Amino acid sequence: MEEKRHTSLHYEKELQAIKDGLIFLGALTETAIRSAMKSLSDRDTELARRVIRDDDEIDRLDTDLEERCIKILALRQPTAIDLRFITTAIKITGHLERIGDMAVNIAEKSILLNEEPQLKPYIDLPRMTDLVGGMIKDSLDSFVKSDLAQAEQVRRMEQVIDDLNEQIFRELLTFMMEDSRNIHRALLVMQVSKNMERIADHAKGIADMVTYMVTGTCVRHQTCEMLE
Amino acid sequence: MKRNLFLKILFSYLVIVCLSFFVLHLLVRDQISKIMINGIEQELMHYAQLVDLSSPQTMHEHLQQISKISKSRVTLVDGRGIVFADSEKAIVGLENHLYRPEIQQARLRGSGKSVRYSSTLGVNMLYIAVIIKDGGKIRGYVRLSRPLHDVQSAVEKVYQSIILAMLIGALVSLVVALFFSYRLAAPIRTMEEFTQRLRDGLPVGSIRLSTSDETRTLADNINYLVEELKDKFRLANEEKSKLMTALTSINEGVVILNKEDRIEFLSPSLAGILSGQYVDFLGKTLLETFRNAELQKAFQTFKNTRRNVSREIALGMAESVIMSVSLSEVQGLPGEERIMIVFHNVTRLKKLERIRTDFVANVTHEIRTPLTAIIGYLETLQEGALDRPQDAKRFIDIILKQTQRLNRLVEDLMTISKIELGEVTLHFENVLLPDVIVSVLQLMEAKAGVKKISIENRIPYKIHPIKADRDRLCQVFVNVLDNAVKFTPEGGQVTLDAEEKAGGIVVTISDTGVGIPREEIQRLGERFYRVDKTRSRELGGTGLGLSIVKHLMLTHGGKMEIESQPGRGTKVSLFFPLYAE
Repeated sequence: MEEKRHTSLHYEKELQAIKDGLIFLGALTETAIRSAMKSLSDRDTELARRVIRDDDEIDRLDTDLEERCIKILALRQPTAIDLRFITTAIKITGHLERIGDMAVNIAEKSILLNEEPQLKPYIDLPRMTDLVGGMIKDSLDSFVKSDLAQAEQVRRMEQVIDDLNEQIFRELLTFMMEDSRNIHRALLVMQVSKNMERIADHAKGIADMVTYMVTGTCVRHQTCEMLE
Repeated sequence: MKRNLFLKILFSYLVIVCLSFFVLHLLVRDQISKIMINGIEQELMHYAQLVDLSSPQTMHEHLQQISKISKSRVTLVDGRGIVFADSEKAIVGLENHLYRPEIQQARLRGSGKSVRYSSTLGVNMLYIAVIIKDGGKIRGYVRLSRPLHDVQSAVEKVYQSIILAMLIGALVSLVVALFFSYRLAAPIRTMEEFTQRLRDGLPVGSIRLSTSDETRTLADNINYLVEELKDKFRLANEEKSKLMTALTSINEGVVILNKEDRIEFLSPSLAGILSGQYVDFLGKTLLETFRNAELQKAFQTFKNTRRNVSREIALGMAESVIMSVSLSEVQGLPGEERIMIVFHNVTRLKKLERIRTDFVANVTHEIRTPLTAIIGYLETLQEGALDRPQDAKRFIDIILKQTQRLNRLVEDLMTISKIELGEVTLHFENVLLPDVIVSVLQLMEAKAGVKKISIENRIPYKIHPIKADRDRLCQVFVNVLDNAVKFTPEGGQVTLDAEEKAGGIVVTISDTGVGIPREEIQRLGERFYRVDKTRSRELGGTGLGLSIVKHLMLTHGGKMEIESQPGRGTKVSLFFPLYAE
């Protein structure tokens, strides 16, 4: 995509604007996740409320991007890689919007958790935040650079997040078994972890779409082993 | 270049040569024939006078004779124009000669001449006529005519030599042109080569010419300009390198965007935060590089208003860095405006700000908690509990305990502020570590015994004495050991060890306690900072212990380091420098 130039400069600009919009949306959602997780670890309810407020912007940007993509489809009737680029962009905005919603979910749980004493110091969740944030960034990087290797790396990362989620689940289970009063808080934390895991799924979805965009093959329902 | 010049010179020389010969031709041609014809005319006139008409009998021989001498045809014409004698042709059939121009002239003026082309002979003929009078009566005319062969051939000869001279002239001008063009082109060619080298960016010295004409001045001017240019280049390069050094060495991050909003320069200090190769960012947009929505928004605001924008933006991934970002325009040529973004790291400043506000909040909170208890119990006592001695005693015990806690807090605060202000006078002496440890352990034994924690002292007895204030050293160990015992569950273990390392002694106190999460470690030592807010207070800490240790270690010229694994335990390392005696 990078080197190619269309005869119509305007068309070229429209495509670039879509690309920029996606990166911007990605940056917004990444900030939303980090802020949501920070509101949890710092017990900062105000920050959590801000995440919920800021989600409106993500939603607005999502519909706006989608509309622009559809307009290009209708007016320019793109073919080959451009067509795949536009369809991929539409799917990616969908993923990013869902990620934004999950950040809101986490922020809501965080508000509830902050009303009660902290169950335990968070160790795995901050790690998860860094990994998931990196995944979103990398998946968008691979989109911008049409980098298949990076997309592949994101797909592999998803397994690590799954394992982390599993580990958090087991740990919280022991807390619940220890004292039934912990159950409410432990369940909330578990939902946060689950949301993070789903965000990672979406990041993987973006990476899948990038592979589709570059190669034209659908890898969405294959596992890493099948790809090898 | 050279050939061109040569042709120009040659051409101008040839024009001069041709022009001069053309003028010569105009002047010479008529002159020669005129002079020659005049000469012939005189000669023929002379012969005409010789014609004698006195004896008609010998007339024919006479004419033949004269014709022979004068190399001309002699014709005698009578007054009416009728030919009555001719040296070459028979007179019969000859037409009337009266109206020939030379005859007419002779009739009017006595003699006449005419040059005419003779179609019979194919050459120009000179005719002269002389009137013959006899006592005022015209008897006739004598006409002599001679072909002008001589004149023509003479003119031709002259022309031949003229053309020869012209050719020689042309040849000479060719040589001269060659010579001059070479002479003139040589310095020009030198300058041409010089400027070409300059254009190609090859090293050049200066032009040296042996001429002393205008080319010399030109060469001098070029030399001067080149020197000037070199100077300007050097200055510009110096300025550039100064600027680059300044931009790359300052702590502030600098980004310069070109007119297409793509990164043209990014200072290395920023590249470090972005964790990537410096070159990777060049030509990318701000959004692609930073992936930061806040920064992009600030950038858009700047683009829309074109007014300087300043924001505080959190950057970075794992550890967030707070940057004060300001955008401004770099003045340039119209249409080449650039945008400069300066990133000033205010993370530390922000942290200090937070510590200060936290401190005030913490102090009030720490003081209020015991005070609330004291006031509550005192009120209860006032309202009648005093009359119930058993309750009263319990309440007073609690009040005393809370007051002691307040006192401890105030003392700790005073200690720490004294150390910070440098008002603490330390009495340095040679201290044997094992001595101090033994006395500290005596203090700690009771507390450890309650929780069934065993304290193992592995410090070798023969370790080098350190220079320290004995009392303060005790305080350091008490605080660290107190923490270790406090945060270690029942039946745990605390180990003390010491070794000489890197010009000092490192004392390690490790426990098998709850441990500290990684991201909290660097905040330990802040006043009132507690990892587990609720539990620590229950255990009776003031939140100042490690802060005091940190400051005391600094006044001893040492430092404190903490390693920890959550759930496994914590290891505190205290480094004391050994000074050379």
